[in-house]
Amino acid sequence: MTTIQRIWRLRNRLIRLSGTKCQDCGLVTYPPKAACPKCGSRNLIEIELPREGEVLTYTVLNVPIKGFEQYAPLIIAIIKLGEAKVLAQLTDVKPEEVRVGMKVQATIRRTAPTLDGVVPYVVKFKPVRGEEASLKEREAEALTA
Amino acid sequence: MRDVFIVGVGLTEVGKRVDVALRDLAAEAVVKAMEDAGNEKPEAIVVGNMLSSLVEQENLAALIADHTGLRGVSGFKAEGACGSGGAALLAGYSLVSSGLFDKVLVVGIEKLHERPTPDTARGLAYAADADYELIYGISFAGLNALVMRYYMDKHNVTREEMAHWAVMMHENAYHNPYAQLRKKITLETVINSPVIADPVRLFDSCPLSDGAAAIMLVSEKYRKLNDTPVKVAGIGNALDSPDLSSRFELDRFIAAKLSTERALRMANVSINDVDVAEIHDAYSIVAAISIEEIGFAERGKAPKLWAEGRFRPGDKPVLNPSGGLKARGHPVGATGVYQVAEIAMQLRGDFPGLKVGGEVGLAQNIGGVGSNVTTVVLRR
Ligand SMILES: [Zn+2]
Repeated sequence: MTTIQRIWRLRNRLIRLSGTKCQDCGLVTYPPKAACPKCGSRNLIEIELPREGEVLTYTVLNVPIKGFEQYAPLIIAIIKLGEAKVLAQLTDVKPEEVRVGMKVQATIRRTAPTLDGVVPYVVKFKPVRGEEASLKEREAEALTA
Repeated sequence: MRDVFIVGVGLTEVGKRVDVALRDLAAEAVVKAMEDAGNEKPEAIVVGNMLSSLVEQENLAALIADHTGLRGVSGFKAEGACGSGGAALLAGYSLVSSGLFDKVLVVGIEKLHERPTPDTARGLAYAADADYELIYGISFAGLNALVMRYYMDKHNVTREEMAHWAVMMHENAYHNPYAQLRKKITLETVINSPVIADPVRLFDSCPLSDGAAAIMLVSEKYRKLNDTPVKVAGIGNALDSPDLSSRFELDRFIAAKLSTERALRMANVSINDVDVAEIHDAYSIVAAISIEEIGFAERGKAPKLWAEGRFRPGDKPVLNPSGGLKARGHPVGATGVYQVAEIAMQLRGDFPGLKVGGEVGLAQNIGGVGSNVTTVVLRR
């Protein structure tokens, strides 16, 4: 189980989605690092990542780790956000609707309580509404065709 | 650096070992390894272990040394998640090759069946990034599933091709008296097994295992302790990010490639010289990427090759004649020590399961999802 200290330390990153950008080679990294994974430079700045991206890969966990049982089936994806990749939970979507390449956007949601019983908020990703709507339109078209 | 030789190995049966305490399980392997090495005592022990905190026990080197009549020797525990056995071997090798000691016993031990499975599963996920991955509730199987889907999509690998690996591992383990899962299975068994973390199914995954293994490493001066000493010709380790998000490529384990290159260069052998290997197949996807990074297959091609019948006894190389993590089992911190002991026995000719022989063998042990990899090259 996580602690309130961890959530407090990560509060900006978990809400604002910040990564690090190397001022020497340009590599953008998430999670943020103290030095660039590519060139080793410590000349990094913290940047906010885009809040919209697409699913690169995903999994559906019937058995999440202890403490997250309430979220089963838990959908976790790795999402391409600009130049970075972010691992996060998908929400507002059924497991069978998730697709690789699906457009998703960041949203702030509650997650499992900490050891101290605090309910923290983190970034999760939900399908981009436009896409959902256009999907419904396409379905409707298919039905009337 | 001085040459290092293996003169003693000891293994316990892998499985659900609630019948014995951690110290007694370790002692079973330690005593066998010392007996194999002419009853010689080591000057130091290095213990590979990931999760002994599950049994509320740390300070394992002291516990195991004291319990096995080695009170007073030097020692410590080495940790590298599921690659802890490899980390312990790297430390043990360094202690002997540096000249600090002439005889070092490397012990791998893990007991995963003491606590309810949810506790153990959460503990295994500690190999990942606690701040940025665990915070979403993803399990270790889930992390491997993310890589599996990406790999299968990118390289057009079918479900059936992936499933052949588990079938082959169960066939090999059938002959291994130390193996946890000694029953043959079919493709249907794998394809119809329950989904754990889509697309990972139960039979894509290794079982939860208890087990202990020990290896006596010595300098040239003591190589005669065994009639058939096996030389540790090369050893290499490399690290990658514990998190998947910041990986440059999601279908690669760069640390596996680097550690293989380091071990082969040190041993001065080519990958084509390897007759037999034990690789870290915690999930079938880990086997596929490992085979490619080690250099036994081109990228994206490993599942096609094993589905066509490659890597079985009679081929070069033969992979995982023990049954691998999939079917021998995966007593996490002990696995790397099992693999090297098994390869040593293959080269000596006294492995009690499938015997494939050979001159050059390789063992590859991974911690995390490819984030801490040790590769060892052995030579008869
Ligand atoms: Zn850089």
